[in-house]
Amino acid sequence: MTALSAAFSLAPLLPLLVALLAAPAAMLAGTLKPRLAAPVGTAFAALAFLATAFTWYRGGGTVDLAWAPTWGMRFTIALDGLAALYALLATGIGFLVLAYSSRYLPLHLDQEGRPEAEGARFYGFMLLFMGAMVGLAMAQDLVLLFVFWDLTAVASYYLIAYDRHDPDARASALMALLVTGITAVLLLIGALTLYATYGTLSVPDLAGSVEPGVTLTVAGLLIACAALAKSAQVPFHFWLPRAMAAPTPVSAYLHSAAMVAAGVLLLGRVYPLLEKSQFLLDVLLVVGLLSISVGAILALTRDVLKQLLAYSTISQYGYVVFLYGLGGEYGAAGAAFYVVSHALAKCALFLTAGAITEETGEDRLSRLGGLTKRLPLLAVASGAAAAGLAALPFTIGFFKDELLFEAALERGGLFAALSVLGAALTIAYTWRFWGGLFLGEGRDGAGSLPAALVWPVAVLGGLVLLGGLFVEPFALLAEAAGAASYGAPTPIEPAYHLDLRPTNLMAVGAFALGIAIVASRPLWERGALAVSRFGEVLGPERLYEWGVDALNRLSDYVHRAEVRDLRSRVAAILLPAGVLVGAGILVTPTVGAYRTGEVMRGDFPLLLALVVVAVAALTTTFTRRHVTLALVLSGAGFVLALVYAFLGAPEVTLVAVLVETFLTLLFLGTSKLIPYKVLHDQAKLPLGNQWRRVFFSCLASLFAFAVAWSALSQPAAENTVAEEHVRLAPDAHAQDTVSAILADFRALDTLGEVTVVALVILGVATLLNRGRLP
Amino acid sequence: MKNAPARTPEITSVLVRTIAKLLFLPILVTAVAMLIKGYAQPGDGFSAGVVGALGILLQYLAFGRRTAERLPLVGFAGKGVFAGLLIALLVAATPVFLGQPVFTHYPPAGASVIYVGTIELITALLFDTAVFLMVMGFVLGGVQMIAQTIADEDEYRGPEATGPEFDASAGTDVEPSSGGGRR
Amino acid sequence: MILAFSLAVAVVFGSGVFLVIQRDLLRVVVGIVLISNSASLFIVAAGLTRGAVPIVPLPGGDGASASDPLVQAMALTALIITSSVTALLLSLIYRLYVSHDTMDIEDISVAELREAEALERKNRPEIEENPEKGPAAEELEERSR
Repeated sequence: MTALSAAFSLAPLLPLLVALLAAPAAMLAGTLKPRLAAPVGTAFAALAFLATAFTWYRGGGTVDLAWAPTWGMRFTIALDGLAALYALLATGIGFLVLAYSSRYLPLHLDQEGRPEAEGARFYGFMLLFMGAMVGLAMAQDLVLLFVFWDLTAVASYYLIAYDRHDPDARASALMALLVTGITAVLLLIGALTLYATYGTLSVPDLAGSVEPGVTLTVAGLLIACAALAKSAQVPFHFWLPRAMAAPTPVSAYLHSAAMVAAGVLLLGRVYPLLEKSQFLLDVLLVVGLLSISVGAILALTRDVLKQLLAYSTISQYGYVVFLYGLGGEYGAAGAAFYVVSHALAKCALFLTAGAITEETGEDRLSRLGGLTKRLPLLAVASGAAAAGLAALPFTIGFFKDELLFEAALERGGLFAALSVLGAALTIAYTWRFWGGLFLGEGRDGAGSLPAALVWPVAVLGGLVLLGGLFVEPFALLAEAAGAASYGAPTPIEPAYHLDLRPTNLMAVGAFALGIAIVASRPLWERGALAVSRFGEVLGPERLYEWGVDALNRLSDYVHRAEVRDLRSRVAAILLPAGVLVGAGILVTPTVGAYRTGEVMRGDFPLLLALVVVAVAALTTTFTRRHVTLALVLSGAGFVLALVYAFLGAPEVTLVAVLVETFLTLLFLGTSKLIPYKVLHDQAKLPLGNQWRRVFFSCLASLFAFAVAWSALSQPAAENTVAEEHVRLAPDAHAQDTVSAILADFRALDTLGEVTVVALVILGVATLLNRGRLP
Repeated sequence: MKNAPARTPEITSVLVRTIAKLLFLPILVTAVAMLIKGYAQPGDGFSAGVVGALGILLQYLAFGRRTAERLPLVGFAGKGVFAGLLIALLVAATPVFLGQPVFTHYPPAGASVIYVGTIELITALLFDTAVFLMVMGFVLGGVQMIAQTIADEDEYRGPEATGPEFDASAGTDVEPSSGGGRR
Repeated sequence: MILAFSLAVAVVFGSGVFLVIQRDLLRVVVGIVLISNSASLFIVAAGLTRGAVPIVPLPGGDGASASDPLVQAMALTALIITSSVTALLLSLIYRLYVSHDTMDIEDISVAELREAEALERKNRPEIEENPEKGPAAEELEERSR
């Protein structure tokens, strides 16, 4: 009974578990049989969607497990409205995109002459992306959030660079990783700043306790920076168009439900903190407006399909940020609704672009057009999606603009005017995309697109239309998400009203203005191109390039200065250590600090052994032949083992003897591997400036002596540690205290050590045996 | 000293082989004894692992690589490292799921211990066994890989090329091509 | 005894450092082993108590002093890690020998510079082909002086 209720209390983990299991499952299926990766991955995405929907239907819930409780970190996940919205998007759109990929990817790989087996990697990382998004949506602890945050960055890196033979793809992936990865550190710093002040990392707890002030402003700015960089907002927007180097399904997913959506998801998650500071909301407002305009203007100038869509994404997420910046209940719920409607439409448009490029081999608007006759179904489906993006009536998009106008009106006339202008720009570039593709003169003849490249678009287009007729379910979800962000119910009532209310007038105004912008293209085209040129010359991308260049130069310099030679490497370690030790010894009072310690009657054999060790060590310095060297070394080791025996440490003695035997075998084996001639030449090497080396090693020896003597002269005031261990040994059911320490008291140390051993054998296997373990 | 290297099994004397055969089981028994009595006497997973590995390596010396590798389980030495790591991680992580700190050993202090003969059944012993597996796998695997490499080199060069008699002329014609350092 | 231990640690450490700054890679590894040995000796010598083997029951009854078991456990850990790291270093040296046909650090570092230059030239074909003027050539020149 208790087990059952415990299982039920863990039920909210279900979506996360399914989503995280998807990637390994697809990888495994892919390694067994490359053909299996796609169906298994798609099935898991569908399963994750169903699990999320089911759990949300059952009322969501919270799971709170101790993770590192002493540091205030808890594994807290919850399926609240916000989490459900983004998790449903990530899994649902993930399912459609994967279904699309199952046909697209073989074509893509075939075109580039790559083996089918590389598909497993694609599905693995796509599903890892999905799992990370679900985790990110559900995480309630800022550090947990950060973990999933970085996981999405890693997955996106591999996906953007999926065509890894292409240097441009690699550079773009690195750019995405650097921009989102460096700003992710800001998120962590912000989280730790909050933790330092309020003593908790849990977002709901923080929401209850933060006060407006410098701490909140600084932490909020840092977290917002991370979110804005991920959502590709100005001035971090430049990575997104570059990321178009990825295969099209990746772009579709990245833009609609994953990477870019993660940024606004974070904003929604920490909104309860941000809204306490008007300054932070104003920052969001400004950044949102800038992104809307920059994205829209650049989208009007681009010729490459995916570039146009990328800039439109920047602009569209600008709206979401703008909505959050407007604040109030309309802001939070409207932003959530906006994300859903944009995701459906944008994903469909990306998939359309990919399908058309597959069909025609062209990716530029100027070389495409008039495709309606060839691809009628695709034209209709993507038309519906485009209408949704452009906010035409009878699509879900109409309501997103309705909510935007309402929220903007609440803030004042200026913002209302700006939002109308933004909506008009959206209509203009959406028209440019869809009209450019499907209208105009074109060749006749039936298209030959596989069904799997069309039906996901049709499903998405259908959803856009469905949302225009039955908006209730979407509105409910957005309301729940808004409530999670806002902390109070956020009723939104998207509906058609056949009257002259302001939002309707604004919508009509936006349509009219949009048509005017489309019609007056010759008038503004040169201006828009000039803006685009200006951005290329003076934009933030320059700063990024300069920074990467400077880092490269610095790394070259360090390489030249320090790493060029093993001896300088050693010097780079020993010299600072020596300086620090010297400084330490200089500032410490030394009178009476050094003791010689008394020599007892029984200690003479020990002294003798120490002398032998020292002599053997010195002998190694002038032994020439390598075999002799190895034998002298092991001699020193064996005598050292004797020293341990005299010190009452039989265990150490035993292991030292055994290890020394092993080392001797290793040295002899290696000297057998390397031809005698090379060894012999090495033994005869010119001594070079041997006196300098003698001087340096004497100096090092002197320092070691000072450190050892001063440390050994200052034992702790009490010997309790030693006695305590001996006293506690019987509690661990042990008699041998050393064993008890190794396996029980300090077992974690031992675990770390044996992990080193495991890594070393992997390393040896890589070096000697091409990675195969014996 | 010509043809002296003890590389081929025939060269090891009957005495060595007999002793190796006689010592084989006792060494393994010693290793296991060190492991399971480690809580009462000197010895633990480390020393037991190295002793066991050296016992098997003695068979390598006496009978040659091929014969020794036919001993049961010796071929899995490298995988043993990871089996050990897995056991160690399990011992470490299991208490976490029972709401205890990492590496809580059972039975707890003061509780009575089940004995099998004189062996105490405690989870710390399981951990020590993991350490034993890892150290033994490491020592054995490391030496095996070096031995394998030596054997490959010998095949590549021909049996005369190694050893002190290796002369300069034989060295030049097998010079690897990638040594661009001096060109 | 403290002085004796410190002297032994110092001598072993100094010999190790002397070997680590040699050109011969095998000697470098021997040096590293020596430095590790000096460290374990130092750890064991730093035990707070010296006495019987720390196995209960202690021979002298409950009040008798046993050797500090903690330092022994730490020294054990250090020994195993030393041996495994040495195995890794030795196989690394063998790889280096196979690819560069030498065990001399200076030869290897010149080869590394040459490779870096070659890579640079491949990435930036606009740099004219002039093998006589690069860091590797400068390095060689510097050494020949």
